[in-house]
Amino acid sequence: MLEAGRHPEVEILAYTDVVGMKKKGGGFALRVNRRARYVKEDVCNACGLCVAKCPGRAPDVFDTGLRKRTAIYLYFSQGIPAVMTIDPDACIYLTKGKCRVCEKRCDKGAIDFDMKDVRMTLEVDAVIVATGLDMFDPTPLTHYGYGRLANVITGIQYERLINATGPTGGHLYRPSDGKLAKKVAYVQCVGSRDLNYCDYCSSVCCMYSIKDAMLAREHDPESDSYIFHTDLRNVGKWFQKYEKRAAEEYGVNFIRGRVAEIEEDGNKDLLLWYEDTRERKVKSMKVEMVVLATAAMPSRSAAELAKILGIKTDRYGFVETVPGSPADTTVKGVFACGFCKRPCDIPEAVSQASAAAQRAAAHVKKAVAV
Amino acid sequence: MQPKVAVIGGGIAGIQAALDLGEMGVHVYLIEKKPSIGGVMSQLDKTFPTNDCSI
Repeated sequence: MLEAGRHPEVEILAYTDVVGMKKKGGGFALRVNRRARYVKEDVCNACGLCVAKCPGRAPDVFDTGLRKRTAIYLYFSQGIPAVMTIDPDACIYLTKGKCRVCEKRCDKGAIDFDMKDVRMTLEVDAVIVATGLDMFDPTPLTHYGYGRLANVITGIQYERLINATGPTGGHLYRPSDGKLAKKVAYVQCVGSRDLNYCDYCSSVCCMYSIKDAMLAREHDPESDSYIFHTDLRNVGKWFQKYEKRAAEEYGVNFIRGRVAEIEEDGNKDLLLWYEDTRERKVKSMKVEMVVLATAAMPSRSAAELAKILGIKTDRYGFVETVPGSPADTTVKGVFACGFCKRPCDIPEAVSQASAAAQRAAAHVKKAVAV
Repeated sequence: MQPKVAVIGGGIAGIQAALDLGEMGVHVYLIEKKPSIGGVMSQLDKTFPTNDCSI
């Protein structure tokens, strides 16, 4: 990430949307909209003086709503560009017309409330689509109680909880009472492999849930982890060994059976009803927190982008590629890599990215030579 | 004329593609809708199967 920020040939246009594309010569004219941050990117050094006094509040999107942030905020601490952004929906000056405290506090003069969105046209020889994924919202699966039961969280929320820079400083304090969760259940295939929602396998959840369970044990050796899975799909180099290590070295418990329902008791502990398919018995288990391994889907903005670029997507919204050329989309000169094509893990996204870069380079060298 | 490529999405895939192209002497516009690049990967604590830090 830092390397991309420093590379002389990589120009980062963050807080920017693609709004249109036209073919031009052998290449494309891409219309983009740089949204107004109300902070000058070339002046702000993210010192944080403004944040200390900002009275506006909004849910922290990066921390999946687990904490609130100020209206002027740093998206996340290592983010590039490392500059503040003003949330126009939470900013008291932008919504009510009075405040401008950040402007007074900033000794660099980086705040600019007159900033407007800027439309730009980028003339390029090729385009690479790498729009990634968004997580499935498990609220419609009412039997799991997400949104209704305080201690049912999603896998991505768990990542923020266990992260040292996250809202709890890396401790598994459960949302209802801030108590350290000692017994945690991980429920697999939430929305994935489900005919009503995503009938494909998201491919990364088995592995990340094993990782999550291992991390919980690392943080607190007295904790108990239970993974409720359909079947474990750990397909990749060292993945099988990883699962074995989790069971043998970390004492992670694996239970084959989909969870049918989650109930809450007076202490906000959770009762899981499930069928143990190995013993063919319906059982229940009481835990202190539940982590739902929600399906990963194509990014919510991907459908609109596909329309703008004229590329084909499949019925789930994943970008379609040309048979035999996995980096090529259905439009010549537009390539794709990563999760926007199909579920994949980080190493695969990286190798696909290099493939797409090679294909794009070959295409532009030809385009430029002509 | 220097070739130019737009990479849409500043997550791990977009960053890697941008860096590869940059190394090849191609000018890259790395376009990200969020306030900074990093994508979903930057929200993760550790990554499997090595439990290394994601950033």
